[in-house]
Formats: sequence, structure tokens, C-alpha cells
Amino acid sequence: MINTVTKNYDGITNEFCSYQVTYINSNRVKSVPLDEANKDYQAIQEWIQEGNTVIDNPPE
Amino acid sequence: MALSKVDLANQVENQLPQNLVANNLPFRNIIINGDMSIAQRGTSATGITDGNTYHTVDRMKTQVITAGTWTQTQDTDVPTGQGFTKSLKMDCTTADASLGADDFLIVRQDVEGQNLQYLKYGTSNAESVTMSFWVKSNKTGTYIIWLYAPNASNRQISKSYTINTADTWEKKTITFAGDTAQAFTNDNDSRLRVYFILAAGSNSQSGTLATSWENYVTANRAVGQVNLADSTSNYINITGIQLEAGTTASDFEFLPVDMNLARCQRYYQVLADGSEQTQSMIGTGLYFSASLMVMAMQYYTEMRATPSLDNVSGTNYYRIFANNTNDYFDDFFLISPNSTNKVCDIRNQTDVSGTAGTAGFVRTENAASFLAFDAEL
Repeated sequence: MINTVTKNYDGITNEFCSYQVTYINSNRVKSVPLDEANKDYQAIQEWIQEGNTVIDNPPE
Repeated sequence: MALSKVDLANQVENQLPQNLVANNLPFRNIIINGDMSIAQRGTSATGITDGNTYHTVDRMKTQVITAGTWTQTQDTDVPTGQGFTKSLKMDCTTADASLGADDFLIVRQDVEGQNLQYLKYGTSNAESVTMSFWVKSNKTGTYIIWLYAPNASNRQISKSYTINTADTWEKKTITFAGDTAQAFTNDNDSRLRVYFILAAGSNSQSGTLATSWENYVTANRAVGQVNLADSTSNYINITGIQLEAGTTASDFEFLPVDMNLARCQRYYQVLADGSEQTQSMIGTGLYFSASLMVMAMQYYTEMRATPSLDNVSGTNYYRIFANNTNDYFDDFFLISPNSTNKVCDIRNQTDVSGTAGTAGFVRTENAASFLAFDAEL
């Protein structure tokens, strides 16, 4: 079960480049590409549709 | 005999090895890792409750909706004399004798649409498929195999089988007609899902079992299914799953381990596992700047889609050795625009501190360190 989703930003271009996902009761971390064929990406979109919020701290 | 006089046509016809004759064609098994021999994620997982994911054996997804708690293992209990060395075992550790209406317990495999086009679904030539497998359980009775095809419409067909004798390996063979009404979408997405149903609540059992292809109706998918979750004494072992075109089951198609592994790695591949070797080499990293380390990686085999980077995060779980200095960091993340299903760009830009332009060896540093790529269905 997804715990948190955070946007990753490329440290070179400063562009949004992937999602970092943590899971409940797990030290597993998934870095999820922005690819609609990726099942983790699809799961994040469903998680957002359920009303959850992605953490977004864009570089200054 | 001069080479020019060799009757090549008859030589080929007469000397084909048995495994190349009709109805025994290579790669006829639609199911990948049906002999349960590959388990990259591990061989045992405990405390499996609600969720829909992979735990042990590659390509075998487990879905639990409030139907007990389970331990899953890649087990060595196999039918005698059949050539198998592993099976998938589900062992109930917390029972649910009174399932809710929507509760569900299954083991499933998802198949890409592009691997199913030769079945000619959606035409009058749609081929039947025959499924064979070995199964063993303490709990006898009726079980359901459910084929679900999410394409333009969601289609389904279910067939039952019976476990006749407790604690005894039995081989089951089931034939499903082809679906003349709907084609499989020709892409890399999940277009056929093969479900071993192990428990199902009343909402999946209140209709009439869908023994012919029909549009999806929940009530028709698992009619008659026993509840494997009703006792902590319950278990089931499954191996030798083969799904092939036609109306008869051929012998199980054993693949060499390298080929079987490569087929699984299209969906999931482990790059480094600290439990196997604490200080395991991952590859070469480069300091793009003092605080940004980049690794360009090529997968073992082309993956189904751009994968997620699956890694275990922990203080100093990884290290780069560059300029005769160790630099420790906690995890990696993936740069999406630079990554495809062939190569990837993974980085750390939160913990590292080095000299721009220098390169070094990147290694795991903890028994819990773990790095894998996941493009599963």
C-alpha cells in the first residue's frame, strides 16, 4: 500500500523527472518513471484520484 | 558420401528431434515460468494480506482481498517423476471462514497482448487453448480457473476443476474455447489474465459460471469455488502450468534456466542484492557535480516498458569509491526522460559528496541493500 508519493526533480535540468514512492510498513522505495505503460505509474494515478496528495517541492 | 548427394529434405524430416514435432513446438507455453523455477524476489514471504503484487515466484501475482493471511513460498514439494523441482505454495496462517461478499484470493499471471495474436481471437478462426497444471491441497472440492481479457470490452470465461484427494499431487487439464467476438489488443499491456481462484465471496458466486466467453459479470466468474482461506490448516501447491493453443495438452515445455530467467527479466530484474553478497558491485558512477552522482545502466534484457527502480533505502546502504575515497549514500532515483525500456539513468543527488568529473565503483554496503528494475504487468 502506498504511503507517500513525492515528485523527483532532475538536479541538472530542474525538470520533474519521476515519482518517489514509499510504502506502508516497508523500507522499499520505488522511483517511478513518467510512463503510462508502467503499472506503478498507473497505481499512482489511481492513488491521486482517490484523493491523495503528491508531495511537491520543486527546486528554487 | 559427397555432400552434394545428401538428401537434405529427408534428413531434416527424419531426424527432427521429438521436441520439434507438431504439437510439441518450442515456446508453445503462453505462461512464463510455469514450472515456478525462477524467484528473483526471494523464496518466502510471510504475512501476505490485502494487496495485489508479486512476492516470490516470478510472474505469479497474488491478489488478496480480505481473505486471510498467507505465507507464500517457492517450495520443493513437487509431483514425483515429472521433472519439476519447484512449486508455488500458499499456506494459510490466519483463517477467514466467513468471507465478505467482495472477498477474493487468487494467484494470477498477466499476458501481453502482442504474445496472443496467433490465437486469432475476434475472428471465426479463434483457437481454443488448453491449460494443464499440477495441484496439491489438503482441501478437496471445486476450484475455478478464470480467464479475463481486458480489451475493448472486458471478456471472461471460467472452468471448474476438482481436487479429488487431499494431500496428493493431481494433474488437471482444461480446454477453453476461443473467443470469436473480441480480439486481443496488440500491445505490451495485460490483455489476458489467467486466474487460479482460491477463495471468492458471494458476489463472485451468485450467478451462473461463465463456461463460454461473455462480457464481464462479477457474479459469474467463480461459482462453486471452495474457500481455501477457511482454516489455518489449509495450503495449496501448484506447478507445471502450461497454457497452449489447441484442444489437447502436450508435455510441459521445460526451458533452460538462462532462457527462463531472461523471459522473467523482461518484467523484473535484480541488479544487486546485499543478502547474497553485502558488498556487491553495481556498476560505475560519475560525479556530474560535487553533489550529484550519475549511473548509466543497460538492462540484462529489453524490458516490457520503462521500469520503476525498486530499491531499499537505508542510511549508508550504498557507496561509491572514487579518488581513493568512500562516499556513502542511502538510495537511488530514476531520471525518467533519459530512461527507456533498454537503458536507464539513475542517480543520487541528496547524500553524495565528491569531485566533479571523477568516476568510481558503486557498491552495496548492507545486507539489506537491494536494487531492481520492475516493469511487471
